[in-house]
Amino acid sequence: MSSRSLWRSLQTQTRRRLAVPETPYRCFSCTRQAQAQPPKPTADEERFTHFGFQNVPESQKESMVKTVFSSVASSYDVMNDMMSLGIHRLWKDHFVRSLNPGSALPSRDHDTAGRGWNILDIAGGTGDIAFRMLDHATNINHDAATRVTIADINPDMLAEGKKRSIQTPYYNTNRLAFLEGNAQSMPSIPSNSVDLYTVVFGIRNFTDKQAALNEAFRVLKPGGVFACMEFSKVDNALFNAVYKQWSFSAIPLIGQLVAGDRESYQYLVESIEQFPSQEEFRGMIQKAGFLIPGRGFENLTGGIAAIHKGIKPLN
Amino acid sequence: MIRPTSLLTLTRRGLSHASSPRAALPLAPRTHLRQPKPQSQIHTTTTTTPRQNNLTVTSRTTPSRPNRLSPTTRTYHSDHHPTQPHDYTNSQTTILSAALHHVPTHGFSRNALTLGARDAGFLDVSVQLLPRGEFDLILFWLASRRGLLRSKVESDGLFSAGPVLSVDDKIQILLMERLRMNAEVKDQWQDALAVMSLGENIPLSLSELHALADDILNLAGDKSVDASWYSKRMAVAAVYAASDFVMTRDTSAGLRETEEFVARRWADARAVGDKLTGVRECLGFMGSTAVGLGRSWGLKI
Repeated sequence: MSSRSLWRSLQTQTRRRLAVPETPYRCFSCTRQAQAQPPKPTADEERFTHFGFQNVPESQKESMVKTVFSSVASSYDVMNDMMSLGIHRLWKDHFVRSLNPGSALPSRDHDTAGRGWNILDIAGGTGDIAFRMLDHATNINHDAATRVTIADINPDMLAEGKKRSIQTPYYNTNRLAFLEGNAQSMPSIPSNSVDLYTVVFGIRNFTDKQAALNEAFRVLKPGGVFACMEFSKVDNALFNAVYKQWSFSAIPLIGQLVAGDRESYQYLVESIEQFPSQEEFRGMIQKAGFLIPGRGFENLTGGIAAIHKGIKPLN
Repeated sequence: MIRPTSLLTLTRRGLSHASSPRAALPLAPRTHLRQPKPQSQIHTTTTTTPRQNNLTVTSRTTPSRPNRLSPTTRTYHSDHHPTQPHDYTNSQTTILSAALHHVPTHGFSRNALTLGARDAGFLDVSVQLLPRGEFDLILFWLASRRGLLRSKVESDGLFSAGPVLSVDDKIQILLMERLRMNAEVKDQWQDALAVMSLGENIPLSLSELHALADDILNLAGDKSVDASWYSKRMAVAAVYAASDFVMTRDTSAGLRETEEFVARRWADARAVGDKLTGVRECLGFMGSTAVGLGRSWGLKI
């Protein structure tokens, strides 16, 4: 008797599970599921791209990313500190130190390049990296000619960076400039004009990463360097389990408590999960035409983040 | 002391051999050693246009194994499959060989690399091409000098003229030849030795030292295939490493003191080797005597 009832309950359960409507994505929170509108039926030729675990038309991703970062702009630093336990500052310091921006040696007579580097910091709205690079060039290499252009697609992040730049010695000098633009196409920046192109924790939000890499290749001088720091894949399985637990359970919760915005941080961890692995991304950099120095990437904290570099070859 | 012109010629000649230390070998076995062909092209065809690179690159993103980043490791030694501890692309070689001209003045430093990059038409930032920084410059120096030593014997006929020399004499001559090459950068060499002795750099430094000892013994015509293969390489490596330190402090004309030091150390090494052989023979004789004695007493041995 009891076995039959058990069998029936199993049957009904399976049937019930089948009856559950298919969700367009899997995620831990269902808040967004309720809020998000189902993607509108679009023409066949419309291409889709990732937005976290969600598939959205390419044309929409840009505005969706914009919304996310507009909402996190003000609490950006507090949140970064809480999510990474402050480690992101070490990563950024290491990134800048390994690039060693600024020419320590005076320019010689027959050197074609002038003193100082022209650095383009993409998706660097809040100026985290830009100020570090300018500090390094000035204090370590005694180079007061190196200049940084901060480019960001999001005016709110740029406004945050401008606000912070007031407290730096570079405010209102020709060493620091702000530019609002899309990294996939930057017609205002001439070809072969940039020494160093950096993009730190930004490229995973781009709609078309390959297009951005191609654009980086265009604006860089021959011999110029593309350097990118981005969340990546953890190589240790045990550590990975801990890390995944942290990022999928704790980070959206911290986002909700501190910034009052669970959605944006849910997107953050999902977009990290969607970003290609170290090897795949290295392949994309090579595909854009860059030379890869050595292994091509450097893992930080067991692969949570990775620094990728590429050098534009001479003709 | 500093002879820029000689540095220049040495570098140019050394390079062709540094990139292919066993250039004299037929090509056929080398192709086995390399993994799939298109992969190795990425690293060598850097002077071609980037578009051409694309083709090879896309084809190699699919296999899960990256190219030389994980080279096949051999558990045995083979003359036909020389292991290369590190390879450089064309751009890296250009920067490094230009940087060597600045070593006598700037040492094995990032500044030398930066100036080398500028000379080669690169930007200051292009030294990012060398992830190990100044240690890459040191490794390049070691590898190119090693190639130069090989070319001195194989192309210039170091031993072809003059009387027939024994293997031991040849080893001493090669050791001195190699040490004289370092004399050009004598004032900077202690710094380089310090960099090489940093923990993270020790494995590559040691593998380079082994490669040098291996080359010296091969060039001297040593054909041993027994346990002395190891002991000889260790002896040569030890004598070279010790003499390298002596050389940096040697102010005598023509490195006479270093030469005497090498001769003394090599004599010591031989003496130790002879003693060991004697002891082994003695023990072997005593052992066989004991066995014979036991058998004569009726033991079932």
